[in-house]
Formats: sequence, structure tokens, C-alpha cells
Amino acid sequence: MNVKFAFNLVAAEGIDPARSISAYLSAQAELIWGTAASIIIFAVIFKFAGPMVKKAMAARTAAVEQELNDSAAAKTTALAEANDIRQAAGDIDAERQRLIADADAQAEALLDEGRARLEVEVAELNARADADIISASGRVSDEMRGEIARLANAATERTLAAGVIDDATQQQLIEAFIQNVGQNVSQKMGATS
Amino acid sequence: MSDARIEGYARALFEIARAEGTLDEVEDELFRFARSYESSDELRSALTDDMIPAAKRQAIVEDLLGGKATGTTTQLVSMVVGSGRGKDLPAIIDTLVARASSAKNLEVAEVRSAVALTSDQQDRLKAALANATGKQVNLKVVVDPSILGGIVATVGDSVIDGSVRTRVDQLKSRI
Repeated sequence: MNVKFAFNLVAAEGIDPARSISAYLSAQAELIWGTAASIIIFAVIFKFAGPMVKKAMAARTAAVEQELNDSAAAKTTALAEANDIRQAAGDIDAERQRLIADADAQAEALLDEGRARLEVEVAELNARADADIISASGRVSDEMRGEIARLANAATERTLAAGVIDDATQQQLIEAFIQNVGQNVSQKMGATS
Repeated sequence: MSDARIEGYARALFEIARAEGTLDEVEDELFRFARSYESSDELRSALTDDMIPAAKRQAIVEDLLGGKATGTTTQLVSMVVGSGRGKDLPAIIDTLVARASSAKNLEVAEVRSAVALTSDQQDRLKAALANATGKQVNLKVVVDPSILGGIVATVGDSVIDGSVRTRVDQLKSRI
């Protein structure tokens, strides 16, 4: 509300601004004492409430500064964490790459080892198969020789049992023995003719 | 039976045969009987079975040899079998033959042949063996079909084997 508006309001109410309201003081005195009282009141307020207000303001300033500092620290921490996270993400990626490379290397090594082992096993199997074939061949050959010998022996026994040595042959054998013993006079006894 | 007892029996049989004047014939017959005894399980078990009475065993001997051998041979074998010494009969007879040969300064030559030898063959074989050994031999021929053919001659510890059986066995082992 400005002064002009105030005078207009007083004029509208029919109040004389030059006339004092107080019954004891004139308008001028009332203005002086009123002004002085106001100054005193303001001084008292400044004297006693000022420090408190100043202190409160300082505290508020400190709180704001503290909040700003905390915010800055939080921001720094957040930035550091973000940096750490980014670094960790980078490390994870590197670790992932390393693990993949290790896995690839191990897989390759396993494949190489498996191939080598398979080649050795195949070679051993081939050698064993060759040996088995040779052994089986030899065994079959031995069995055939044995069977032939058995059949030959059986045939010989049957032939002899059938009495194929006739009397003439018997006599030839006897004469041959006598002649052989007679011709080998110097032969040492004990030898089998 | 101990060697002394076998020797005693052999000496007794030898003296009896010599006293009878049939030593050569008895010796030959006993030798052949001993080989037959060795080759026949049935005869061996019959003459050595203690469950068979001695008289029965002697009857078996007389049935076998009666008419085929001299009475002296039959009686000597019957005596040995009757006294329960049947299982020692080959050893007794071999000792007797050795004693008889020794008495004649001869070496026993046991000859096994698949078929019987003629007298001529026996003479020539005896001469051949005498030449080969440097000793006069007392030839004892045994017909043994198991040798199949040829001859096996044993003089002392020496063996001259010309049998078909041995050659067949050698052929078998070579096969």
C-alpha cells in the first residue's frame, strides 16, 4: 500500500491527517515518539534477535554448504563408482575375452590331444589286428598241419592195420636187417639202424 | 621178490634142466613162454591171482603148455606158479637164460620179429650179431606182431631197431 493510497483512504473516511488520534499527544509529537519507539524496538530486535538470526543464517549456510559438499562428494563417489563400474565392465569384457580365448585354447588342445590319442589307438588297433591276423593265420596253418599230420598218421595206422606188409615185404625187411647188421660189423652197438 | 630169491629159483631151474639134459630146449621154451606171459594181461592175471587155488593155476599152465613144450618146461613153470611166484616168472626165466648163456660163454640176443624166422635166417642173424658185437650170441627169437615188420635185436644193453613200428613212429613225429 503506497502513501498516496493511504491518504486517499483516510480522506475517504473523512479523517484529517493533521489531527492526532491520541488524546494526550499532538500529531507531531505522536509522530516523533512513534518514530523513536519504532527505532528503539528495531534496535532491541537487532540487538537481541540479530545474532540468533545471523547464527541461524550461518547455520543454514553451513548446512547448505555441507549439503553442497556432500552432493559434490556423492557426485565424486558416484563418478568414481561409475568409473569403477565402467572399468569393471571393461575388465569383465577382457576377462570374458580371456576366458573365451582360454576355452578355445583348451578345446584346441583337447582336440589335438584327442586326435593324437585316436591316431595312436588306431595305430595300435591296426597293429593288433595285423598281429591277430598273422596269429590266426599261423594258428590255422598249424591246425591244418596238425590235422594233416593226424590224418596221415591215422591213414598210416589203418594201412598198417590192414596188413599191407605182405610176406615178401616181411622177408625183405628181415633180410635187409640181417645184411645191414652184418655189413656194419664195426658199427658201435646201441645205434638204431 | 628179492634178487637173491629170483637168482635162487633161476639156479634151481637151470640145474634141473641141465640135469635133465634138455637145457637148450627148456631154456628156449621158457624164454618164449616168458614173453607170452608179459604180453598177455589175461594170462598174467590168471597166474598171479592169489584167489585162484594153486592147483587151478598149475592146471592152466599144463593146459597151455601140454603138448606144446617139453615136460620139463611145463613142470618147471607149474612149480613156479604153484609156489605163488607167478609174477616173478619173467625175471626168473630171464635170469635162467642169462645163466645158461653165460655157462656156454654166450651173450643173450633177444630178437623180436613180426613173423617167424627160418633156421637159415636165424643162423645168419646170429652170425651177423656175433660179428657186430664180437661175442657169440644165444639167439632168442620172439614173434611180436606189434612191431609190424622188420627186426628188433637186443644184446645186453644195446638195441638194434629195424622195425617198421619205429620207422612209422619216427615218421609220425616228423610229420
